[in-house]
Amino acid sequence: MSTTVSAAPAAGVDERLGRAAQAPRQEPKWNLTTVGFLLPAGLFVGLFIVYPVIATVIRSFFNRAGDSFVGFGNYGQVFSDGRTLHALQNNIIWVVIFPAAVTGLGVLFAVLLERVPYRLLIRTLLFMPMAVSLLASGVIWRIMYQQSPDTGALNAVIASVANAITHPGHYTGAAPSQPDLVQAVGDGYQLNQSLAPGDVAHVGLIRFPVAEIPASARPAQDPAPQPGKIVGVVWRDFKPGGGGQVGQVDPGESGLPDMTVQLVDPKGVVAAQTQSDATGDFAFGNLNGGSYFLVLPAQNFHPPFGGVQWLGSSLVTPAIILAAIWVWVGFATVTIGAGLATMSRDLLEAARVDGATEWQVFRRVTVPLLSPLMIVVFITLVINVLKIFDLVLAIAPQSVIPDANVIALQLFLVAFTGLGDFGIGSAIAVFLFLLVIPVMGFNIRRFRGGEA
Amino acid sequence: MGTRALEIVRPRRPTWVRLAENVPIHVFFIVAGILWAIPAIGLLVTSLRPVDLFNVSGWWTAFGAPHQLSLANYHSLFASSLIAGSFVNSVLIAVPATVIPVVLATMAAYAFTWLNFPGRTALFLLLIALMVVPLQMALIPIAQVYAVFGPPGIVRVFLFHAAFAVPYATFLFRNFFLGIPHELLESARMDGARDARIFTSLILPLAFPAIASFAVFQFLWVWNDLLVGLVFAGNTPPVTVAILQQMRNFGSSVDVISAASFLSLIPPLLLFFAFQRYFVQGLLAGSVKG
Amino acid sequence: MKGRSALRALVLGVVGAVVLTACGTGSTTPSGKPLAGKKVEIAAVWSKDEQKNFEAVLAAFSDKTGATATFTSTGDKIGTVLGSRIASNSPPDVAVLPQPGLLHDLAVKGSLKELDSATASLVSQNYAAVWKDLGTVNGKFYGVFYKAANKSTVWYNVKAFGQAGVTPPKSIDDATRVLTTLAASGVKPLSIGGADGWTLTDWFENVYLRLAGPDKYDALTKHTIKWTDDSVKATLRVLAALFQDQLIAGGRSGALQTDFPTSVSNIAGNPPKAAIVYEGDFVEGILTGTAHMTPITDFNFFPFPDINGSPPSVMGGGDVVVRFTDNPAAVELVKYLASPEAAQIWAAKGGFSSANKKVDLSVYPDPIAKASAQALVNAQVFRFDMSDQAPAAFGGTTGSGEWADLQAWLKAPNNIDAATAQLEKDAAAAYGS
Repeated sequence: MSTTVSAAPAAGVDERLGRAAQAPRQEPKWNLTTVGFLLPAGLFVGLFIVYPVIATVIRSFFNRAGDSFVGFGNYGQVFSDGRTLHALQNNIIWVVIFPAAVTGLGVLFAVLLERVPYRLLIRTLLFMPMAVSLLASGVIWRIMYQQSPDTGALNAVIASVANAITHPGHYTGAAPSQPDLVQAVGDGYQLNQSLAPGDVAHVGLIRFPVAEIPASARPAQDPAPQPGKIVGVVWRDFKPGGGGQVGQVDPGESGLPDMTVQLVDPKGVVAAQTQSDATGDFAFGNLNGGSYFLVLPAQNFHPPFGGVQWLGSSLVTPAIILAAIWVWVGFATVTIGAGLATMSRDLLEAARVDGATEWQVFRRVTVPLLSPLMIVVFITLVINVLKIFDLVLAIAPQSVIPDANVIALQLFLVAFTGLGDFGIGSAIAVFLFLLVIPVMGFNIRRFRGGEA
Repeated sequence: MGTRALEIVRPRRPTWVRLAENVPIHVFFIVAGILWAIPAIGLLVTSLRPVDLFNVSGWWTAFGAPHQLSLANYHSLFASSLIAGSFVNSVLIAVPATVIPVVLATMAAYAFTWLNFPGRTALFLLLIALMVVPLQMALIPIAQVYAVFGPPGIVRVFLFHAAFAVPYATFLFRNFFLGIPHELLESARMDGARDARIFTSLILPLAFPAIASFAVFQFLWVWNDLLVGLVFAGNTPPVTVAILQQMRNFGSSVDVISAASFLSLIPPLLLFFAFQRYFVQGLLAGSVKG
Repeated sequence: MKGRSALRALVLGVVGAVVLTACGTGSTTPSGKPLAGKKVEIAAVWSKDEQKNFEAVLAAFSDKTGATATFTSTGDKIGTVLGSRIASNSPPDVAVLPQPGLLHDLAVKGSLKELDSATASLVSQNYAAVWKDLGTVNGKFYGVFYKAANKSTVWYNVKAFGQAGVTPPKSIDDATRVLTTLAASGVKPLSIGGADGWTLTDWFENVYLRLAGPDKYDALTKHTIKWTDDSVKATLRVLAALFQDQLIAGGRSGALQTDFPTSVSNIAGNPPKAAIVYEGDFVEGILTGTAHMTPITDFNFFPFPDINGSPPSVMGGGDVVVRFTDNPAAVELVKYLASPEAAQIWAAKGGFSSANKKVDLSVYPDPIAKASAQALVNAQVFRFDMSDQAPAAFGGTTGSGEWADLQAWLKAPNNIDAATAQLEKDAAAAYGS
């Protein structure tokens, strides 16, 4: 890339630092010029970073009021409080899934982009989420994750597939008005008592939205028995305005048309099937005597796909991780792509000429050559994921924040909202700090190694 | 190995064959392109629809019913001083938070590169160590310091951001300065120029690409920040905080939220397209900072 | 910003004090009105429409007495503003406090003047006894409840009730039957805005007040009994029986994703997503405003049902008038605000309820406002929103304390012991006991 700044973050340390700093001729000494150049930055860094690091460590050993020394008490709290533990647990999920997923996708995108002419377009598109705030990305995904398939784009896509596979029935959510006479069979219903020709079946249903009744429906009537036939009615056993009797076809109660009705013989074999008419009536003729069970099969009641509750307690963390992946894949792609661009074409071509398949080239040549860069990307992502905050706050609805919580957010909640406990807040901050210390050591080692 | 010679021997396949071979890859990128573009389009369209519709129908229905779309949400956004004011606050925070570390860090980097003083390496190592300190480490003590002094919210926020940019910026600039030929500096010194003059008239102009990379990154970092604003901004919130305050009632305030969010994307995206090269460099180098 | 507004308040206060002193030494002006030429400053949180309406009340006071009353809007940080003005020894003459806790704090600090016997007897005549008690601290009477809010109102879709053939329930047992019938008719009975923790605390408080009674309510408010008390558990059991998945639009997990305004608009629409939503009298504004519904024909309310024959009870809020000075115009103003005339002026303009029994109910602009005010007047038991009186860390912070604990409980409502244990833990931390 450019001659100025290395494209590779190299965990913050550029290789060129390895060159020994140029040695001016003067003896090393502090003079006014040196002080003048360093003091302003030193003041800011001292006041806003060095002092707070020390102060936070000290503060973490004092109670909420800050007036009594509690030793490791706050740390004990951090690791015993249910909410903080849940946050820690979520952070572990984040660390396990997120950096690996993003690095992997980054490699995949970068390698495949090498093979298409419009790579700049895709790379720009992938990278754009990195430019905007995590809060705005959170808003974007909160809109995508709306639960109703009518309003949430993601669920709308899933719904169009799901509803094509399981056709929703006419009467979703319907339940029998006389549960003691009817048993549930899967998602359908079956009358407890068997029927013989000449009998009349009554199946009253309630609890489904009136809007589900087709416009063709007419008021139900109690059908008269017919010799040699099993007849019956399915109707909405609820009189609008109230006052009807349960189990009885009252005037004004609507028949339920287009209901699939089956007769099942005692062996469980479907003997006959029909559809109810506009008044909810149905009839089975040509029966060979014997007894049958009346079944309203599940297909009448299949609910349409109601939408995955992405932002409910159980899925909220994976949903936020997915959004985070969307944000960060561009970073991994561009970084690894930059590394790929500097890679020797000859080596790849040589491998291809030697008869290696594309997969072998990828596995044996590309990945080993890219691995230092992949490690850097991975570490960068780990650091960032430990501090993840904005996305969680933006995507998780208030009531599921405890389920989506992460330590950086818990720090904020403990220290700056509610009771405002700076003691425990400091302990969480120190814990966070300890987690990034290995990276600090790594940076220093690399710098010194280069300098030496 | 003579690979190049071999390559010539290898028969070149016609373009259409290569295109056809890559069909799965093209499909892959079409899907990816859609996955990355759609959510953002969803935000834009949502911001153009009335809030009543949000809980009734999806934003994509607007493509079949363009009469749903209007700029009404943006009008009402600017009618209320709350959000409009927060954009001003964001600018007032992001500009000094960018300028201050540029000044401080170029100076410090100059000293670390071309002035020789005892403890130089140790101090620089400290700086490298401080680069990854999470800013969460400083929130509580600084909040306590601020509670005593109590300057207005905007100052609190940009001072904090400025300070946390210094280690990384110094590192970045020193890195760049190391690439400037030493002879250039020596000849200036021979001519009797003092360090202050060399710094302002020789080094700073040369350092423009590095400064631009850093400035673009830092401006966006601050513009996009939520946490520091949330803790320190008080009643002069930057736009991210102002949006978050609306988010308690997401479903019924989505008109304000989506419109403000979309507007908040515009400055970063403009910078992104205008300074893409600097942007990517700055971002890649800065992504490890605390 | 905060510093600046405090400074402004201070300057205003000093100027006000100087003006008052100047007036106090002057002789009575030659006018028929007793207080002509006198000035009085009154501070309240109101702004915009509320300020305009209240200024109309003050104008009537001026017409009547000749004194000039000026209004100062404090914004929602009234405690801070008053505190700094008291500290600089220049409080407003009169203030209207939105929280009873503030009245208590200021009275204990000795900042408030005990109200005169004329005002006290006026309040005894015009208000139910509970209101006078609420304005009394340590046996001294300090505050007149000028404005009140009713948070024991349950709102319903009239057509959905008609479809199901049900009428508003009087008791909680009635309510259970109504909910079941509504469900049978094919509409989800309840809409709950559980994404906002305070809607759950309001539910809890209404049931608790009726089930455990006002004494326990006060004790729990002060945290002199624990949240692990049996009365709390019994209340959560009553709520758990109501909050069944099949009775709630979207089920319990859907309720936790629903914010308050959305929960209200759920009962609008044809067909509505739910038939009933519970919250305070401010729901009316949302239903007529954003939901475009017509009172009485489209929606109505009924008082929160009784439990085990509990007396008519209202949980709500109120704005209490207190006095910081003995300025005669201030004395007269507080007395005036205890009168039915003062309440009727604002009541007629809407967005206002009074607990004053003498207020002519016909002045309320619509039947719903009238009925809601009537419930306030008739309440034998009135209690303030408990969570408003608790330390903010417990009763008023999103994502922590009571709000979060009740949300967690709603996810598994039969897990009552765990919920009360967590509530007690958070309460103990927040109350510092």
